[in-house]
Amino acid sequence: MKVIKIDKQDFTSGIEKLADSYRLFGPVKEKESYAFQKLEKGQLPDFNFKNTRLSIKSVINPQSEVMFEYSLDEKQTDHHVMKEAKKDYSPRAIFGVRPCDGKSMVLVKPNFDTLEYKDNYWLDSYNCTTFVGLACNDPCSTCFCTSAGSGPFDETGLDVLLIDMDDYYIAKAVTSKGEALLSAASWDTAGTLDDVEDKKSKAEKKIKTSVSIDNIKDRSINEIHQASFWEDIAFSCINCGTCTYVCPTCWCFDIQDENSGKSGVRMRNWDSCMFPLFTMHGTGHNPRGEKTQRVRQRFMHKLKYYLDKYDQGIQCVGCGRCIQSCPVNIDIRRVCNIMNDYNYE
Amino acid sequence: MGIEPGRIHFSWVSSAESTKFVDVVKKVTSEVKALGPNKRFVKKKAKVA
Amino acid sequence: MIGYIDKIKEISKGLLEEKKVDMIIGFRKGTVPMINEPCVAKTSADVDNFVWDSSCGINLANYLTGRKEKIGIIAKGCDSRNIVNHIIENKINREQLTIIGVPCKGMVDRSKVKALVSSDIEEVIEKEDTMVISGADFEKTVKTSDVISKNCTICMHRNPVIFDELVAEEVDEQKDVNRYEDIDKIEAMDSGEKWNYFEDMFKSCIRCYACRNACPLCYCPTCFVDESKPQWVGKSQDPIDIWTFHFLRAYHCAGRCTDCGACVRACPMDIDVRLLTKKLEKDCFEMFNWEAGLSIDKRPPLDVFNADDPDGFIK
Repeated sequence: MKVIKIDKQDFTSGIEKLADSYRLFGPVKEKESYAFQKLEKGQLPDFNFKNTRLSIKSVINPQSEVMFEYSLDEKQTDHHVMKEAKKDYSPRAIFGVRPCDGKSMVLVKPNFDTLEYKDNYWLDSYNCTTFVGLACNDPCSTCFCTSAGSGPFDETGLDVLLIDMDDYYIAKAVTSKGEALLSAASWDTAGTLDDVEDKKSKAEKKIKTSVSIDNIKDRSINEIHQASFWEDIAFSCINCGTCTYVCPTCWCFDIQDENSGKSGVRMRNWDSCMFPLFTMHGTGHNPRGEKTQRVRQRFMHKLKYYLDKYDQGIQCVGCGRCIQSCPVNIDIRRVCNIMNDYNYE
Repeated sequence: MGIEPGRIHFSWVSSAESTKFVDVVKKVTSEVKALGPNKRFVKKKAKVA
Repeated sequence: MIGYIDKIKEISKGLLEEKKVDMIIGFRKGTVPMINEPCVAKTSADVDNFVWDSSCGINLANYLTGRKEKIGIIAKGCDSRNIVNHIIENKINREQLTIIGVPCKGMVDRSKVKALVSSDIEEVIEKEDTMVISGADFEKTVKTSDVISKNCTICMHRNPVIFDELVAEEVDEQKDVNRYEDIDKIEAMDSGEKWNYFEDMFKSCIRCYACRNACPLCYCPTCFVDESKPQWVGKSQDPIDIWTFHFLRAYHCAGRCTDCGACVRACPMDIDVRLLTKKLEKDCFEMFNWEAGLSIDKRPPLDVFNADDPDGFIK
């Protein structure tokens, strides 16, 4: 795969060129934080960010997404018929995808793309996207990607990895989709990876915290489920949806119909296993009625059920967003290490 | 919260005060009509992204 | 304030050893700077994990709702006022509680501190009146009083209003503070400006409900936004649904809000949700001379009717 050197001024002109053939998205500063947004004509992605508050999940799998539209107006020929909402799946490129978010796509895909069922909303959105990563030269203190199966220069799930070399970028094409984007931008000066290795090892050394999962892997679900530490872990939890919403690998949603006069939509919205309503049955019975059960569910799903089911590590990329945003300081690193180090007998 | 104050009226009218009731209704309708249709706090049909 | 911890531990251990309480709700050291985690101590050994500094902002009264045990609880001024609310609203019995009062000088606002430096804060060491903030390439000392939360800067009840033990001498209450500066600013706007202001304010809301769930007042078994029969509010990112949630929640707190700032502190998107409840707190103060949570013997203004209740809005 190609390795390209991009001078910073050529980067700007390349982005302008790409706007003709791609819908461009990238990090944009909003008040004090950064969010992925559609870039307007002439707007550049703002690379002065450490990480965005919400992951690229907010673009690929938006918080509220219309699936169908319908009319209840009997004068219309197609009344009372659910019609697929027409959406723009023309080529799209997301710039500034941190390696953790890139990796998250690989972890999330098996949920939406199974042999039996295909979630076309997610798949169409995913397939039309070229993921242009940006390596982390300067990870946050809450990052633990290196022990969560990723890393600050990880290419997994990306189509291109950009590395900021201060005066220029090195762009490493990871897939043919990525090569196509580089050509479309007329970025074609060959570069080398010679100085990248040094940047990479420096970045990796900056990551000081880690999680271990060897013991979680070997223990049975029941052993971990019934361990005595859950109540202590869950005590401070207020059962808001923050951790699940900021998480790049949390994928749950809820489907709602919204009517307005004689027409309406069927839409899906992010949902959270932290909410009691998430598991509430029509009968009024709630199998996860207590907060400890809900907190346990979140961590068991991420760190045990997923690990067992898909055999591709834990359902966590170590981005640290939930650690930064949790209103009561529940730290997944601490929880994971408690689960791993507990004396199961 | 950003709704024009003229859209909200409170009044206390006894069932015996028919003329007051008429006056209040006239005043409310004329003030609201003067403001025109309400544009704020109206939920629109969800957009297809 | 950092000197309080020895006394807190001493009192806590005493209560547990004498079996006066089954558990004590306090804070343990956070895993990231400037936020400590609420926790429970059931033994003297657990108490050794307790900490106290300016990163104990979370309102612990939120953890009392409906509990049946005999509980010791560490309470700042605002926590104590919310405990009073809880007692008035029958969410906990006074007899169940041993309140360990902590005079408070304000709790740190993480966003304020983060805004002072350009890189990641890795460590914060608190001294008596200052904090030393450091990261990979910097170290900076700030005055703690310069970085406390907005609501703490205008707090009129820093000392607990109800307690069984007090860990230190009371601190001086603040005088001559302009309690309603930010509210006055919004009140001075015309309706169009207000609309734009709130539109901008709620744009980034992700409906995680952290504000609601961190609030000690929000203990409804089913919140109106979670009702499905009937469904009062839509579930999507529609701005009107988002506003409906925030404004209605605020109204449910009228005459009850102590301005503890839990909602703002919890918000992952840094939305100043407190402005809504603060407006209602102001109205209650000006119209009914009422401040919530000061006495377990007084009923809140929205519970009672008085012939001289202000009614100027009725024409």
